[in-house]
Amino acid sequence: MLQLDRLSKHFGGVRAVDEVSLTVERGQIFGLIGPNGSGKSTTVNLVCGLFPVTSGRVLFDGEDITELPTHRRLAGGIARTFQNIRLFENLTVWQNLWVAQNGAEDRQQGFLKRWYSGNRQGRAEIEELLEFSRLHDKRDLLAGNLAFGEQRRLEMARALAAKPSFLLLDEPAAGMSQEELKQLSERIRALRERGATVLLVEHVMDLVMDITDRIAVLNFGRKIAEGTPEEIQANEDVRKAYLGGAAEQEEAASA
Amino acid sequence: MDYFFFIDLVQGFADGVLFGTTYALIGIGFTLIFGVMHKLNLAYGAASIGGAYVSLIAFLGLGWPPIPTFAISAVGAGVIGYVVYFCCFKFTPVRHPLAALMASVGMLLFIDEVIVHESDGMPQPYPSVMDHAEITLGEIWIRGDLIFVFLMSVVSMGVLLWLLYRTRLGVATRAVSQEATAARLCGINPDRINASTFVITGVLGGVAGAMIGAAVGVLSPLLAVPVTVKGLIVAVIGGLGSIPGAIIAGLMVGAAENIFLVMRGITERDIYVMLLLFVFLVLRPGGLFRSASSQH
Repeated sequence: MLQLDRLSKHFGGVRAVDEVSLTVERGQIFGLIGPNGSGKSTTVNLVCGLFPVTSGRVLFDGEDITELPTHRRLAGGIARTFQNIRLFENLTVWQNLWVAQNGAEDRQQGFLKRWYSGNRQGRAEIEELLEFSRLHDKRDLLAGNLAFGEQRRLEMARALAAKPSFLLLDEPAAGMSQEELKQLSERIRALRERGATVLLVEHVMDLVMDITDRIAVLNFGRKIAEGTPEEIQANEDVRKAYLGGAAEQEEAASA
Repeated sequence: MDYFFFIDLVQGFADGVLFGTTYALIGIGFTLIFGVMHKLNLAYGAASIGGAYVSLIAFLGLGWPPIPTFAISAVGAGVIGYVVYFCCFKFTPVRHPLAALMASVGMLLFIDEVIVHESDGMPQPYPSVMDHAEITLGEIWIRGDLIFVFLMSVVSMGVLLWLLYRTRLGVATRAVSQEATAARLCGINPDRINASTFVITGVLGGVAGAMIGAAVGVLSPLLAVPVTVKGLIVAVIGGLGSIPGAIIAGLMVGAAENIFLVMRGITERDIYVMLLLFVFLVLRPGGLFRSASSQH
């Protein structure tokens, strides 16, 4: 479904992403992991088209979308969340979803439907999303006034509002409690049952090992391993790169 | 302070608040474009006056009555707004805000020159409505045409607020101004939103231009620069990016202008308005309302 073909991004002399190739199949939950600064977020930004690639291609459903502007990628079915939450803080919860809907139906029904009101079915879908993210009693609050966990849930709901076939989750578990983590993995599983394909970029290993079908590991911008969670856990290079990095982090955190 | 001077002051204050709504409209235009694009469009005031001049073709050339003439001004300024966007903003690189700023200064001078040449540098009569009516409150009397100007401006602001807060286009516009990156990922084309912002603020400016003409009774070819300056003062005092700020600052500047006029005379009036801006820049540089855009 999503295919990266020898994708590279250099910032000056730094090879943030270096000839990464990987393929995400339809219906998969695909994990992308690696130590800090290994190029995970850059890869996600390239898939979204937030900055131009240095070389290589991004293919989506067999189509080359490397040059497609960001706002057109949503129509193609790609949505994402951000590591550092980016909501429309001065809009209400409901408006955040409403503005993100921008659905294919509205496009066909023309200017007024799209820009004035949206359609009735869309409103029903917003209700359903509010229910799914357990935000239905917060609909008229400003997004900026929500608690942290609620903001994360709203951001995911906003990504879902356009009914994407492919969802990029950029560190959705950052800063979450154990309880919230459990709910998160349930919601991600529920997403797959709805037919979405998920690319999960994550630091929290338990979560990744628990719910992904396949994992790719980045280190210094290069892909060093790919396989099932069991294979990755057994892989010696990954242990060295990733767990070594994690140990350093723990030291840094305790220092 | 003697009694008649006091009456003059109150009279000036009332007239100023009514006329100040046109300043508020211009200020809203500056502030809205800044809020959405984080760039100043210095050609905005000139485009507004340009709209009023376009409507002169309908008024003087075709003999249209006042209200349709005002409508032409709004449409004309909306079109000019899009032209300004296309020429000065659409293709200038995002990372170089100065490029767009300088382009819009060029556009300001260009529109100003066109107006001066087309009008031969002479003031032209501009229609107004209800100009024979008046309301008398004791010693104060309020001109009917100023009441009309006030009502038109307030209705335009109401329509704008409705657009921004109740329609999806408006909500999308606010989304772009708050988080442009996330908005792109929500499938919103920022180019479209920017263009529509220029057209909508252009229409608003056209109403303001027409109302300035209606209140004064003539259109002067020298209006473009003073209107630009007043609009910028209003936008800065209100807090760049804040619409309620622009509304209140517009009324304030209108009132202050007339009070200074009564107290110090026409030649010194603008000095004190500039001083007011200076006071704000020193004591409250974020403006009356700290805007969303100045917080980061």
